[in-house]
Amino acid sequence: MKKSQIIAFLAIVCAIAIIVNGARDVSTYSTFAEATKSGNEVKVTGELNLEEDIVYQPEIDPNVFSFHMIDKDGISRKVLMKQSKPQDFERSESVVVTGMMQDDTFVADEILMKCPSKYKDDEIRIRAEI
Amino acid sequence: MSEEIKYIGETLWPGQLGHFLIILSFVSILFSSFSYFKASGDSDKTWKSLGRLGFGLHSISVIGIIAILFYVMSQLMYEYVYVFEHCSDDLPMRYIFSAFWEGQEGSFLLWMFWHVVMGIVLMRSSGEWEAPVLMFLGLVEAILASMLLGIHIEIGDWSHKLGSNPTLLLREVYNAPIFQNADYLASVKGDGLNPLLQNYWMTIHPPTLFLGFASCTVPFAFAAAGFFTRQYTEWLKPVIKWSLFSTGVLGIGILMGGAWAYEALTFGGYWAWDPVENMSLVPWLILVAGIHANLIAKNTGRAVKSTFIYYALGFVLILYSTYLTRSGVLGDTSVHSFTDMGLEWQLIFLVIFFGILSAWLYFSRRSEIPEKTTEESIYSREFWMFVGALVLLFSGLIIAASTSLPVFNKIVELFNPQFEGSVIKDPIPHYNKFQIWIAVLITLMSGTAIFLRYKTNTWSNNQIKAFLFRNLIQLGASALLTILLSSWIDYWHWKYALLAFCCFFTMISNTHFLVNKLRNNLFMSGSVFAHFGFGLMILGTIVSGLNERVISSNPFVMKGIVKDEDLGRVIKLIKNERIYSEGYWISYTEDTIVDHTRIFKIRFEKEDSNRNIIESFEVKPNVLFSNDLTKVAASNPDAKHYLSKDVFVSVQSLPVSQMDVNLAKDAEDSLVYERYELEIGDTIFTKDKYGILEYLSFNPQHKDFKAEKSDVAIAAGIRFRNLDGSFNKLIEPALSLNENLLYQFPDQLNEIGVKLKLDEESFDHIFSTEDKLEYSEFEIRQNESFIFEDEEYALIGFDKNIDNKNYTPEPDDIAINAIVRRTSDQKIFNPIYLIRNSSPNSLKDYDADSGVHIRLENIDPVNERFLFSIAMDERNDKKVILRMAENVPRTDFIGIEAIEFPGINLFWSGSVMMLLGFFISFFFRLRRKYA
Repeated sequence: MKKSQIIAFLAIVCAIAIIVNGARDVSTYSTFAEATKSGNEVKVTGELNLEEDIVYQPEIDPNVFSFHMIDKDGISRKVLMKQSKPQDFERSESVVVTGMMQDDTFVADEILMKCPSKYKDDEIRIRAEI
Repeated sequence: MSEEIKYIGETLWPGQLGHFLIILSFVSILFSSFSYFKASGDSDKTWKSLGRLGFGLHSISVIGIIAILFYVMSQLMYEYVYVFEHCSDDLPMRYIFSAFWEGQEGSFLLWMFWHVVMGIVLMRSSGEWEAPVLMFLGLVEAILASMLLGIHIEIGDWSHKLGSNPTLLLREVYNAPIFQNADYLASVKGDGLNPLLQNYWMTIHPPTLFLGFASCTVPFAFAAAGFFTRQYTEWLKPVIKWSLFSTGVLGIGILMGGAWAYEALTFGGYWAWDPVENMSLVPWLILVAGIHANLIAKNTGRAVKSTFIYYALGFVLILYSTYLTRSGVLGDTSVHSFTDMGLEWQLIFLVIFFGILSAWLYFSRRSEIPEKTTEESIYSREFWMFVGALVLLFSGLIIAASTSLPVFNKIVELFNPQFEGSVIKDPIPHYNKFQIWIAVLITLMSGTAIFLRYKTNTWSNNQIKAFLFRNLIQLGASALLTILLSSWIDYWHWKYALLAFCCFFTMISNTHFLVNKLRNNLFMSGSVFAHFGFGLMILGTIVSGLNERVISSNPFVMKGIVKDEDLGRVIKLIKNERIYSEGYWISYTEDTIVDHTRIFKIRFEKEDSNRNIIESFEVKPNVLFSNDLTKVAASNPDAKHYLSKDVFVSVQSLPVSQMDVNLAKDAEDSLVYERYELEIGDTIFTKDKYGILEYLSFNPQHKDFKAEKSDVAIAAGIRFRNLDGSFNKLIEPALSLNENLLYQFPDQLNEIGVKLKLDEESFDHIFSTEDKLEYSEFEIRQNESFIFEDEEYALIGFDKNIDNKNYTPEPDDIAINAIVRRTSDQKIFNPIYLIRNSSPNSLKDYDADSGVHIRLENIDPVNERFLFSIAMDERNDKKVILRMAENVPRTDFIGIEAIEFPGINLFWSGSVMMLLGFFISFFFRLRRKYA
């Protein structure tokens, strides 16, 4: 066999191995119901439930904050984060949390927020009339 | 709608000129590219001159557009949408560059500008290659220029916006009722620059990165020119210095991004496998592979086709990365992608056009390329360089594939709307686990191949012996160093040990080569530096990545309360209280506010067993308020740099009331205040403390109180104690009146959760309003005095310099400022007699301490007599009305995160050395004898 063929063969084997292995690192966004069922760590996407309180009391524990989130199915659950509250959290439109269900609470260790872009709001800010 | 309105204050010529130059830039570069195309196969110089003319026109127009944009930005002409979106009144001028390329249009212009510079250098230096190379460069530039056109194309129902014009007016882009007002400009203010981007990295990182991007076009243009003109090998030599420059600059750009992330943005991470980072790394990897293939091709005549593929692929991947970061397709997977500008299809066209162009050039010329048919020998350098380049390509493709998952999702969604896009669960380990093996292969091969020679087919026995002997020693030394390293960082894992071993191997081998073979000939030292640096850099990632330590986890305080793995990374520091965490005594002693920044001073101290301080340092992390000062917008860490480690500290949480004015209002509204009426000596009680009103003062000491912004003010001093006397603290809430507005200055005792406010009613008990005052009149001469309420007041003279808060000078005023001295305490009063618009006025002077009001009512010039009136506040009951809330959350703490990164300097010095390698090779090739 020629060396170039050996190299090509090795490359193909590696590529297949990587695809098979890498595919395991991938998952779709989940819902609270699926999270309860599977019991594993999942990513849930949804919106902030602004009717419920966002609780962050750094004077008691700066590493905990909680909020309620509505998932794709429209179900609202309490989410408990073990980190300090990110800046501008209240303004985020959609939220992706990574973690698992514990009883009725979703305990998350990672959060990704999508904030409304400043270009999208067509409101022109006006100087306060003094 | 707004056609009939004549707007006030707009400056329209920059927009009109800018629009003209945009069109000129597009047309002229198309013309230039076409002329160069005609010149490529033509010995007649006419087309070439026309090509130069076009390029010159294009250069002038690009620079003109940039100048106009800078002009309207520096003049804060908010009638222009680009100014409105990126500038604001309070934006310091030093950030105007950052504001310029914050937007997509500005960054495209930056990219085009570098192409222009590149083109001019090529025109002067590339000789016969000028025409075909500039033809391709011009083609790229034309498509970039089209991104600024801002033309709407409509065919029937279908309409499409071609490009986005940065010189449009605000009212042409936004449709808002405000534009009904002809004077709308008076009330418009800009959005300003994102506070996160207001630092020097934003000034230097984008220009470097875009110079890297722009310079990647040149190797592609050379490769395409070589294939297009059927000069298949001649381009291999002139292109190599461009590729070296390009990889060097792009590398610096990427590294700057890492340094920015490390220092400020993500706090301690220099690489997070973020899509934007990945997609600038991938073209770099492919270009590095291209350089290796290029060297093989130049030295042996093999791998010409591979060189073309690498350079073309690297360039197309730059375009692809532009598409990814600017089309909005990355959506929520990236923290720092641009916002959508509506150019998605134009960006896709850019990628596909050059993809197809490259493929066409390759396949139409493929069979004509003279290449050797024999295989490389495994004893030759070119064989291992070729494999190394393949490994780099592989690495780049793996990264690009994973990063493209959102694109894949989107494509499938086009065909199947039900499809649910998937994401990588945990990106960092996902990328790391594959790239570890890439690094192992690269380091092994670069360590070995450096000693091999080009075009070697067999080895003699002696060569084999030398090879084995040398490698045995190098491998042995590497093994020893790996063991030492593993015990230093106390981390034993076979994968990382293997990687470290390979890194040591390439470092030793390259050093060996430098010392042994390069004494008299430094030509190859660039390669030695690059490979040594690569090894050191990867070593740095191992040491810093595996050994990162959170100092702020404070296990002693939290032990037993939470599970170990749940230990938070944020520790609460109460002002002036030392707290022990992970070997350090940490204390937060002060904070100051300067402009938009609140800076905290935090001390770290290490003690030995006798409580002597053996190490101490101070860091000053800060938080940045939003442009309108209503909330905290960003947190900037600060670091203490040691040679062997960095300690990073950032403020991660603040009391809710200090984060955001709205939250502060909510917090205040949730407090329950009780009303108390107190006289001096009276007592109020909390759960287990009592407070006594000790004094009233007219000079409040409250930290937020500013005497010059207050007409009158009072403060009440209340001392809180507990029964056994172990607690004793004074607080002093204040109240002030300034131009008929009352200002509250509440005070808080954080230790006992008490907050006190002085009620406005307090003023009525202490100050009398003008209509309640009973004035007594006295007429005296200068140097005479009168007696009022047992005090003597003397008129000692007059002063031209008027010092009275109530007086604002106007022209034609006649003002007489009397100096009246109270004998008992030497207090000076300055009542003013004023004639304004022919009518007399008297402006009183007032002393809050004694409650005395004095006016100069009249002047009798004939007899030189002055009529004063004087009155005193009713202060029979010196009552203050206090409102007290209990169980108030503390406001004197911050939450910090502190992380120790050991060995980070290995990473930085390794990567700098690697990039230095590219530049060393570049400079050697600039000198003619090597070129």
